[in-house]
Amino acid sequence: MSWIKEGELTIIERFCANIIKAGPMPKHVAFIMDGNRRYAQKCHVKRQQGHSEGFDKLAQTLRWCLNLDIREVTVYAFSIENFKRSKEEVDGLMELARQKFSRLLEEQENLKKHGVCIRVLGDLPLLPLDIQELIAQAVLATRNYNKCFLNVCFAYTSRHEISNAVREMAWGVEQGLLEPSDVSESLLDKCLYTNNSPNPDLLIRTSGEVRLSDFLLWQTSHSCLVFQSVLWPEYSFWNLCEAVLRFQVNHSDLQKARDLHMKERKRQQLESDQAYVTNKLQQEGSACHGDSQRRWTLLQKCTALREERIQGFLQALENKRMDFLERLCTVSA
Amino acid sequence: MDEILKQQQELLGLDCSKYAVEFANQDKTDQVLNCQSTLKVLSPEDGKADIVRAAQNFCQLVAQQQRKCTDLDVNVLDSLLSSNKGFPDPDLILKFGPVDSTLGFLPWHIRLTEIISLPSHLNISYEDFFSALHHYAACEQRCGK
Repeated sequence: MSWIKEGELTIIERFCANIIKAGPMPKHVAFIMDGNRRYAQKCHVKRQQGHSEGFDKLAQTLRWCLNLDIREVTVYAFSIENFKRSKEEVDGLMELARQKFSRLLEEQENLKKHGVCIRVLGDLPLLPLDIQELIAQAVLATRNYNKCFLNVCFAYTSRHEISNAVREMAWGVEQGLLEPSDVSESLLDKCLYTNNSPNPDLLIRTSGEVRLSDFLLWQTSHSCLVFQSVLWPEYSFWNLCEAVLRFQVNHSDLQKARDLHMKERKRQQLESDQAYVTNKLQQEGSACHGDSQRRWTLLQKCTALREERIQGFLQALENKRMDFLERLCTVSA
Repeated sequence: MDEILKQQQELLGLDCSKYAVEFANQDKTDQVLNCQSTLKVLSPEDGKADIVRAAQNFCQLVAQQQRKCTDLDVNVLDSLLSSNKGFPDPDLILKFGPVDSTLGFLPWHIRLTEIISLPSHLNISYEDFFSALHHYAACEQRCGK
């Protein structure tokens, strides 16, 4: 498979993998694969080759992740900001994408055998139409596979993703599917491009840069961040183990922080529900105001109605997204 | 004032000869650098909760037909947030403590922020603080290009 390198770990690698796997393991790892161009400069080759070797390194890293039982990986392949690069470089990257997605479609049997679900996250209409079509085909062909998941962020920035999620919720309100009070952190989660994935446990950025560069800002708020100085095309199994060890060291602190955040989120939701109910009771007339039984019943009813609205809205959103991909496939058929 | 100048001499140590300390005000009676700092203290609810609040307000406007959903883009959402209002996006995060995470700090605003870690804010030495600033100065932002 061109996207996941064939092969098993060496004896030493397997030995270390077994030691590491004795501790808590990340289920979802995100990579900012930085350093292709600096690598090319270092090796005195063209940038395009740097990017090509970067892709090979991705295939190898995905193999290592599977060996370590890490079943979900998200990568930052192309930022909306990268469109600012020279036409030559952007065209080169698009051509690389074209080749790789076409190869992917030729390997459908293998994808099925390994159960690989491919998702592409980003503002796809910004891409050349033929690449959009290839992406749509790859995503639709693999959408029901569930042994492992590869999320490729392409034409992506986190701010665009978050704005898009808010726009979708506003669309839901416009369509009469949602009420403004339905908007919550958990609903926003479900409107992001990453709505089918749990948040990354671990984010790794290579090449020594120590910033997030508009990648998964919302989803990595409580993730373990590991910045490594190695250039992406030189990434090794040991670099990956080092990152996983850092995750293990941080694991219980981060779990506590996440639990605290969830508790606070639930408390806020309850508070806003209570306010909603108080409002409704006041509208009905103050005779019922003090009745705690009435309050409880109304709270249950409002929560159930909200759940129903949200399910309807999320289904409509899913249909909208599927329609977009399916229309792209019929264009190329 | 003398004490501050004395401390500057001590703290800059061997490097002090490299840096000519210039005062904004040439008046000798006012030798301390005139630097007005503003301190903003934030808490977890200034993170995701602020984005959710802005989203709710926008949806309220849509419900009242004062806005269309297509009106919302990155710049509009940015202008609706209040947690960092009046401040530019942070250039640098100095993170204290052993946890390798931003723990929900201003997720929207830190898209280009350099994140530099120091072990603790207790008994922090000037050398450590200075070396963090030095690290920041060496960062090269390409902004996608």
